[in-house]
Amino acid sequence: MPLISRTFIKAGMIFFALSLITSLLIEVNISALPGLIPLFWHMLIVGWITQIIFGVSIWMFPGRNRDEGFKAQLWGWLTFIFLNTGLILRVISEPMSGVAATGIWKILLVLSAILQVLAVSTYIIEMWPRTMSKKQQREKRKRQRNRKKKEERQ
Amino acid sequence: MPIISRWMIRCSFVYLLLGTLLGAVMLVHKAYPLHPAVWQLLPIHIEITIFGWIIQLTLGTGYWMLPRFLESPQRGKKIPAILMVLFLNLGIMFVVINSLVQTTLQLSIAGRLFELASVILFISLHWNRIVTYRSRE
Repeated sequence: MPLISRTFIKAGMIFFALSLITSLLIEVNISALPGLIPLFWHMLIVGWITQIIFGVSIWMFPGRNRDEGFKAQLWGWLTFIFLNTGLILRVISEPMSGVAATGIWKILLVLSAILQVLAVSTYIIEMWPRTMSKKQQREKRKRQRNRKKKEERQ
Repeated sequence: MPIISRWMIRCSFVYLLLGTLLGAVMLVHKAYPLHPAVWQLLPIHIEITIFGWIIQLTLGTGYWMLPRFLESPQRGKKIPAILMVLFLNLGIMFVVINSLVQTTLQLSIAGRLFELASVILFISLHWNRIVTYRSRE
């Protein structure tokens, strides 16, 4: 399993645990912070389910670049950074914007929205061309082999 | 990856982007109120992300990855598979339109019926594919 997928899945597991801790806080009603219910759902659906889908699909879908590293897995790493930064910013700023009247929390909330849209966009950029048939996969491999041969000859 | 899965997975990507954009609009609205009607997007956001993204992606991936029949057609008949994709997306659209437009038509019921039909088709296509071809020792 590539590093990017392992990172996605482990981050997803942390959000899974955090979402259930949040649901406990909601159930026992001990938190003074508002807006925990949407946070619980988003940590569960975005932080856990979507994140594990991202990690597994980047690993299992055809046409994966087997080289490791940030540059080789650029769109995957950007997705990871945007998604997790966006979600963490939301987890912090959404309850705080309900408690404190300062504008910084509102700005962070908007930034979180932008980052999550960016995460989805970079994920689609990575995965759209990889949603391909076996024939397309063979042709892609053939093109890659030919390109490598050309580079070796030069 | 078969064409049915490619359709479903690509549709799910489109729904993911749409659902996230709607969510982002609502999140911005929480910080800086845009319009009172923005909250009407919430049921559409939920429908699109749950049925359009998560369910559609899992059905499409299941159609691709679950064990295939040994004889052709290896993933079952094509027509029910096409109908499965069509019904699921019609169902999502009907439920979304029902949230957007005030109408006397029972569009959400029709939408849920289409979604149910799609799920029944998925089950009927895959029930006999949930097998192992490894002989018992």
